[in-house]
Amino acid sequence: MSQVFTIAGAELRLMLRSRLAIVGVATLLLLSAIAAVTSATQMAAAAKMRAEAQIATDQQFKSQPDRHPHRMVHYGTYALRPVGPLAAFDPGVDAFTGTVVFLEGHRQNSATFGAARESSDLVRFGQLTPAFVLQTLAPLLLVFLGFASVARERERGSLRALAAHGATAWAILSGKALALCAAAALAMAPAFAALGWAAIQQPAEAGIALLTALSYSGYLLIWVLVITAVSALAASAQGALVTLIAIWAVVVVLVPRAAAAWAGVAEPLPSRVDTEFAIAADLRRIGDSHNPNDPHFAEFKAKLLQKYGVGKVEDLPFNYRGVLAQEGERLTSQLFKDYAARAGAIQLAQSDRLTALGLISPALAVRRASMVGAATDLRTHLAFLETAEAYRYNMVQKLNALQATAVSGADDSARSKDPIAERRTRISADFWKEVPDFRFDAPTASRRAAGMIPSLAVLALWIALALALMMIASRRLERNGA
Amino acid sequence: MTHILREMWLLGRSRSAIWALLLLAVCASASVALGLASVARDRAVIDRMLAGQVAEEAALAAFVEDAGSGAYYGFQPTWDPPSDLAFAALGSRDIAPAVLRVRALALEGQIYENESSNPELALPGRFDLAFVAVYVAPLVLIALLHDLWSGEREAGRYHALAALPRARRRLWTSRVAVRLAGVLVALLLPFGIGALMAGTAPLRALGFAGLITLVCLLWTAIVLVVARLGVRSAVNAASLAAVWFALTLVAPAGVNLAINAGVPVPDGAALARENREYVHAGWDRPRDRTMRDFLKVYPQHEAGSAIPPTFHWKWYFAFQHLGDLHVAEQSQAYRDGIARRAEMGRIAGWVLPPAGLAQAMSAMAGTDVTAQLDYQMRIRAYHQRLREFYYDYLFSEKPFGPQELARVPRFDPAIGG
Repeated sequence: MSQVFTIAGAELRLMLRSRLAIVGVATLLLLSAIAAVTSATQMAAAAKMRAEAQIATDQQFKSQPDRHPHRMVHYGTYALRPVGPLAAFDPGVDAFTGTVVFLEGHRQNSATFGAARESSDLVRFGQLTPAFVLQTLAPLLLVFLGFASVARERERGSLRALAAHGATAWAILSGKALALCAAAALAMAPAFAALGWAAIQQPAEAGIALLTALSYSGYLLIWVLVITAVSALAASAQGALVTLIAIWAVVVVLVPRAAAAWAGVAEPLPSRVDTEFAIAADLRRIGDSHNPNDPHFAEFKAKLLQKYGVGKVEDLPFNYRGVLAQEGERLTSQLFKDYAARAGAIQLAQSDRLTALGLISPALAVRRASMVGAATDLRTHLAFLETAEAYRYNMVQKLNALQATAVSGADDSARSKDPIAERRTRISADFWKEVPDFRFDAPTASRRAAGMIPSLAVLALWIALALALMMIASRRLERNGA
Repeated sequence: MTHILREMWLLGRSRSAIWALLLLAVCASASVALGLASVARDRAVIDRMLAGQVAEEAALAAFVEDAGSGAYYGFQPTWDPPSDLAFAALGSRDIAPAVLRVRALALEGQIYENESSNPELALPGRFDLAFVAVYVAPLVLIALLHDLWSGEREAGRYHALAALPRARRRLWTSRVAVRLAGVLVALLLPFGIGALMAGTAPLRALGFAGLITLVCLLWTAIVLVVARLGVRSAVNAASLAAVWFALTLVAPAGVNLAINAGVPVPDGAALARENREYVHAGWDRPRDRTMRDFLKVYPQHEAGSAIPPTFHWKWYFAFQHLGDLHVAEQSQAYRDGIARRAEMGRIAGWVLPPAGLAQAMSAMAGTDVTAQLDYQMRIRAYHQRLREFYYDYLFSEKPFGPQELARVPRFDPAIGG
């Protein structure tokens, strides 16, 4: 064991003497610090802006004047997706989805205004965030620091000297890997400090932060093991470097992009217009409120009249128009829900393909774990959309109920011709205050932790594979007489 | 010629070189195939929308009773067809909608709608030929050329080779030419096939191929400078990878941060909310004030502008449009902010040539931010035509029925309005 530490110590001293290594580590630490600070300020600003906008929109709704309740159905309100608890560490998909949904009657709008559509063409890949530094930049730094660790010794013939001192091949490789681990720990420090800072501010997130730190440590451990093994297996330091850069490019850059493109083609998602047309066609089939002879609404009316034992809608004890609006909203909302569930299932299936491809690229696995932990993944966004839709439905139905009970049917049917009746259909502004504020909570920490498990399992598998590769390298080294 | 043939033979004998070129060719082919598939999907979305519109209009024709209900319920399709080069540089087509249906209501509440898409697929960026040319090809060039001189030196052959008469032309030039040609063939062959399948205009295809060649020439020059100066192959490879890394990944990300911090874009959500406030306050605002404000913009409708004390569509559509005018400045500032960021990105492209060439590719393919803003302007122009078509009916109180519905102006993807 002491041999391992001696070898690691020697390797670290060598790194400290290498200008290339010092410059590389310093650059990474600097980038990492810049990323941590800018990401934290940006996300704090976004969080503040969205929270304030949510309060403002809720206030605006409550301070509307006396109105016909159906006016309020169209006035609607906005739901803003709050910034995820660890979004400063990993903003995930935050920039690539809209952040605001307009909620109104009869319609289901998309989330609009995301940062990606407000940026230049300069980068699509790689917003400078702590997560990006750890996923993409840190492995390449480790490649630069470690590619020559064993290959250099062999080229100089000093492996034999080490063996003569009684060092086994495994001890040599472990020592080299340990030194690289120390460098990796240093490289992770600023990003982990950002994570720790977030955890201090939100103690409930401490467990998730720890799990996230664990997945990144595992990810970089995979790189350390693979780099050391390749350095031992390659014929020359140059060969090791070229191989490792190729592996990095494939694992970190190529596979994630190709995987996303492939998932999109393999699981095609219907467009918004496709869905709108399908819903319109369904509505024409099951119940069209525009059609006076529509069988569904004719039956609805007949049942209602029968239930209250009256001959015409004017004799009902409530405003028939409000009840009709409720039934119409019930039908459309059910369809919105069904189609959204279908689209959500397709998107989750696409993302599941990415998780499966984590078997080829651990970068995909760690990205997934990180986003799920930070509540900045697809599933959280879909949950937000679902919450917004449920809120929309409840708000609209509450307003439709007010139309049924607080607005007289006679006034309601005369309002487009009689200004006095129209005045009477405006109900008190106090009613708007009864509509609750919109609120969305990210999935609980324990649910997110559970969501991280598949990715963590993939990372564990990769650690095992990398260890096996190092064992193969060690055996080769032993056999070839070091 | 014999030098070229010899270098080709040598290249063929290097297993790692063949692997690198093969990987590049596979990536380029896959990117072209995926790009063509993505463009075909966009086209299919547009076609399905135009086909489905027929049923929508038939349904509307069954209950339309006046110009107001036609304008209120009649959504009209607009679309941004992919260009003949879009398959090679998909740009931001995955995050900006290719189709949008609009109606004559306030446009600011409609124009920012997004396409439904999986953000986790947009996150890593597009896998298109522009990506392969700008990110992957340089790495292959580095792998092929970084040890051009140092490799021979390390093998102990350098002095013998350099002493050959006309070594520069006979040896190094032909070696570089053959390797660069290998990379270009791996990129341009799939591109050529894709361009044929997409029916790209020959001159445009040539221009795009020129950009790809420029990327490769740029990186060949960088690699040769480092390879000439450097002594050890491993140091060359490490320095070149660091240069690649800085130029294609780190610097653009840093510049992007600086641009976003330095060029503020007004809060779009606040703009949309302000539009809604003004539109809905229209119900309670004095009616003659609404009509007066509207007639300032549309004096030609003065004659038919009298409204009853109850609801009338012309009053309704008047305050819808006033809502748009109310936030016109904010809306312009929002677009200007985005355009300014795109502009700064282009300027940065002159300092960061790989990023500059990538932007030139998406600009040529009409898939960049500027193209998205252009599409929005075409939607605005069309929306104006659509509104004004209905204003004519509303203010003249001409009858409007299914026959008039068929005369609604159609969107023209080339000019919009």
